[in-house]
Amino acid sequence: MSVWLHILREMGFRKLNALFLLLGLAMAVTVVIASQLLAEADERETRRVTRDMGFNLRLIPVKTDLGQFYRDGFSRHAMDVSMLDRLATQLTNNVSFNHLVGSLRREYTINGQDILLVGLSDTYVAPGQGKKKMGFEIEKGTIHIGSQVALVQEKKKNDTMHVGVRRFAVANDPIETGTPDDITIFARLEDAQSVLGLAGKINEIEAIDCLCLTADQDPLAILRKEIGGILPEVQVVQQRTLADARAKQRQTREKVNQFVLPSVLVAGAIWVALLAVFNVRDRRQEIGILRALGKGGGRIAVLFLGKAALLGLVAALIGAALGTWAVLEFGPSLFPVTKKAIQANWPLAAQLIVATPVFAALASFIPAMLAVSHDPAETLRED
Amino acid sequence: MIRCDEVTKIFRKNGSEVTSLDRFTAEVAEGEFVAVRGPSGCGKTTLLLTLGGMQRPSAGSVQLGGRDLYALSPAERAGLRSSEIGFVFQMFHLVPYLDLLGNVLLACPGKPSAEVRRRAGRLLDELGLAGRASHRPGELSAGERQRLAVARALLNRPKLILADEPTGNLDPENAAEVIRHLAEFHRGGGTVVLVTHGASADTHADRTLRLDQGQLKS
Repeated sequence: MSVWLHILREMGFRKLNALFLLLGLAMAVTVVIASQLLAEADERETRRVTRDMGFNLRLIPVKTDLGQFYRDGFSRHAMDVSMLDRLATQLTNNVSFNHLVGSLRREYTINGQDILLVGLSDTYVAPGQGKKKMGFEIEKGTIHIGSQVALVQEKKKNDTMHVGVRRFAVANDPIETGTPDDITIFARLEDAQSVLGLAGKINEIEAIDCLCLTADQDPLAILRKEIGGILPEVQVVQQRTLADARAKQRQTREKVNQFVLPSVLVAGAIWVALLAVFNVRDRRQEIGILRALGKGGGRIAVLFLGKAALLGLVAALIGAALGTWAVLEFGPSLFPVTKKAIQANWPLAAQLIVATPVFAALASFIPAMLAVSHDPAETLRED
Repeated sequence: MIRCDEVTKIFRKNGSEVTSLDRFTAEVAEGEFVAVRGPSGCGKTTLLLTLGGMQRPSAGSVQLGGRDLYALSPAERAGLRSSEIGFVFQMFHLVPYLDLLGNVLLACPGKPSAEVRRRAGRLLDELGLAGRASHRPGELSAGERQRLAVARALLNRPKLILADEPTGNLDPENAAEVIRHLAEFHRGGGTVVLVTHGASADTHADRTLRLDQGQLKS
């Protein structure tokens, strides 16, 4: 009788043992694949959420008086826009900052209303990361206005509005934010430079730090050293509360992900090993008679390891299908912002289909060795 | 066929020693039917397992067909058991999830050929189990189970059958039937060592050895 037929007959006879083994492994594979897919979705979601928290680094001219900066919300000193380009050329995966936007901010008066005029450059991101740009894109010839500006100037979306001598179309539906954005007009950088008569100038570079270190880990020292090495003409201000929240969010996610996979693997291994031990105990007499019939230790080991591997293969197929289905079905409600990015991970499923039988066989190895080393005479004497 | 020289087997249990076989010396000739009798716990099963290469003695030697059984490697002993020895146990020791044919074929080393399968079918037929080849041991009576165990022991045409109380769980009718099959194997030139505490096999045995507290008494 072939060893596989032997294994199948035994599984058919001890259905509960086989069923529990199958369920345990299938559940483990389901959790592994689901947690991995969810971790990927969670990472995307976290990136988006933290990105949407806004910039947390402000690089301002080194001569800026911080008292004035915090009081007015912008630096009265200007720097050349080429500094933005200089910093942007250093953007790689190895630096601790990303998403660079040059801006020019100044107070301005329109029809007697004091407002803040902000010109924004394009966003620079590290190449090859496929990251979406932060914030909103400002089309040429358009501006985005705050709710108070809209109220006082009596403007709404698609209206035209003069800023200085230039005429722009209002591109947004102004909504109240409860922030200085309500009295701000956002324009393209070159438009703001033109209106303010500061061609080629910016007074700030905004960025996001990628260190994701909490405040107690002192990320600012690292950032100042790194950015100061490239642009000694700027001073680095970090919006620590924002940076800290972002770091904590990402660190928490990473910790959860680091905990789930090993826990599932350990629990799965213990479950398989325990069931294999019970199976060996149940089959002591059978092992004894197989020995008496001249079957070697290899054949006996294969009966146990083969069973685990066979069930591991079936469990992997079930678990991969179930885990993928569960994530595709329920993932979008968990991660609404990035739901379109939730997809099946077939290479991971294929890896699990190969790895699970090996894992199950390894977890059954000690019980199988117990079976092989069991003294058959002891069992056969137990009449 | 078998030669035991001063075979001693001592078990250590809970810090004390129990001598199961005590300098047992005997010979069994090829084609002989030997009954080993003695009370429960006198070392009969230990003797049988030792003769079958399943249990290394603490001292002494066992020779089977001129080969020192315990000088062989475990794999060589397993090969010898598979090709030359058939076992029959009191508790049958059948594999519960295999059908009758599967249980008999379990004795076959490697994949059974068509000839071996035919032979297994014939054995089931001869032992009155024809038509039940697809049943499982759990569906058989005690007598049928023991006949199945005999069929398994006979599959590889062994030279020697070691039977441990094969009639211990059977009614007199079934016991006589099993002994009859062992006697038939003996008449065909096979060697039988049958350990029992009853006298049912004495009429078929060429010789009876008496074992008491691990020692040969006659």
